[in-house]
Amino acid sequence: MNRLIIVFLSIMLSSVFAYADQHIPNLGKKATEFKDEGEKAHKREGMSHAASLILQRKMHPELLMHKRDKTLRQGVRGGYIQLKKCIECHTSVDENDEYIPINSADQFCSTCHQKVGISLDCFSCHRTTPSKEI
Amino acid sequence: MKALNRREFIKTTTTTTAGVAIIASGITLTTYAAKPQESNPVTNEKRWGMLIDTNKLTETDIDDMIDACQEEQGWGSEILSTGDQKSGWIKKIKVKDTATDRISNLALMCQHCEEPPCVDVCPTNASMKREDGIVLVDKHLCIGCRYCMMACPYDARSFVHEELTNQKEHMPRGKGTVESCTMCVHKVDKGEQPACVEAVDSDAVIFGDLYDSNSKINQTLKKIQSTQIRADLNLNTAVRYSGI
Repeated sequence: MNRLIIVFLSIMLSSVFAYADQHIPNLGKKATEFKDEGEKAHKREGMSHAASLILQRKMHPELLMHKRDKTLRQGVRGGYIQLKKCIECHTSVDENDEYIPINSADQFCSTCHQKVGISLDCFSCHRTTPSKEI
Repeated sequence: MKALNRREFIKTTTTTTAGVAIIASGITLTTYAAKPQESNPVTNEKRWGMLIDTNKLTETDIDDMIDACQEEQGWGSEILSTGDQKSGWIKKIKVKDTATDRISNLALMCQHCEEPPCVDVCPTNASMKREDGIVLVDKHLCIGCRYCMMACPYDARSFVHEELTNQKEHMPRGKGTVESCTMCVHKVDKGEQPACVEAVDSDAVIFGDLYDSNSKINQTLKKIQSTQIRADLNLNTAVRYSGI
């Protein structure tokens, strides 16, 4: 019976550590800076680190979809979930000090989307770089 | 240690799972409690409207309005679109009274009807009216069928014919969707005035809440004679004109 418990617990734990080996190669300019400084940007914005990882990786389509309807149809603005906020920190900068569009190859959004073969439709309309200058 | 039997194993694992679930839900709750504040949904206690006085509005004013709109919303710089394909959120229209030959210039944009024909005909519910009376296109749902463009008596809507980049952050625009004047909804939600209203120095264009009896637009509408364009259609537009 003890063996059963060990098996059960290791299954539980393995599902937790399943995320440990995943890493995002290209976090983007600002996000990398935050990470290097040890600052949890998501936490500062009001979301716990663990929650933000799970939510951003697995549930970001639902969150963005929910918020877009609230914003467009009900005029609810501000809050944590905003596409422009994602873009603000997760875009990279090229050698000419210009922003690289977030949907181009090997950038923050497209890395995972390429891997899982899901097309990225947001940016046929939405802006792909932060509007603020560097 | 005493060996567990099947029943006890189930008991232990259920308790553990329940415990974990309770702690996890606690984490989620505290997470959402600290979320930055979102603004409240708009209500139908307000109805945004505009009054355009064509006697005071000069032709340069209208050009300024168009420029301000292009600058704010980022339309008008399409390269591949030609002629009728070009976007026109706000247009300069010349109307002539054939009996007296009197010419007046209008700035014509989406009239933000109370009974919008574009919303009636939209097959995907993309064309919609907000609670506060602003008529918008939900481009997430728009399939580009252009029924709304056919239905609009004011020819206020345009269709994007080419792929675009560098859109404004607050105004996503893309190929294959319909677009029109949003009454600068992103500014109005912040308590500001639409760009075209700010562009005119005189009080030729007044923006405000039609329902609020203390607002300038409500007071002015009470005093002076104003008209809706194509009032015969009973659409009850939010953009009204005086002097035509």
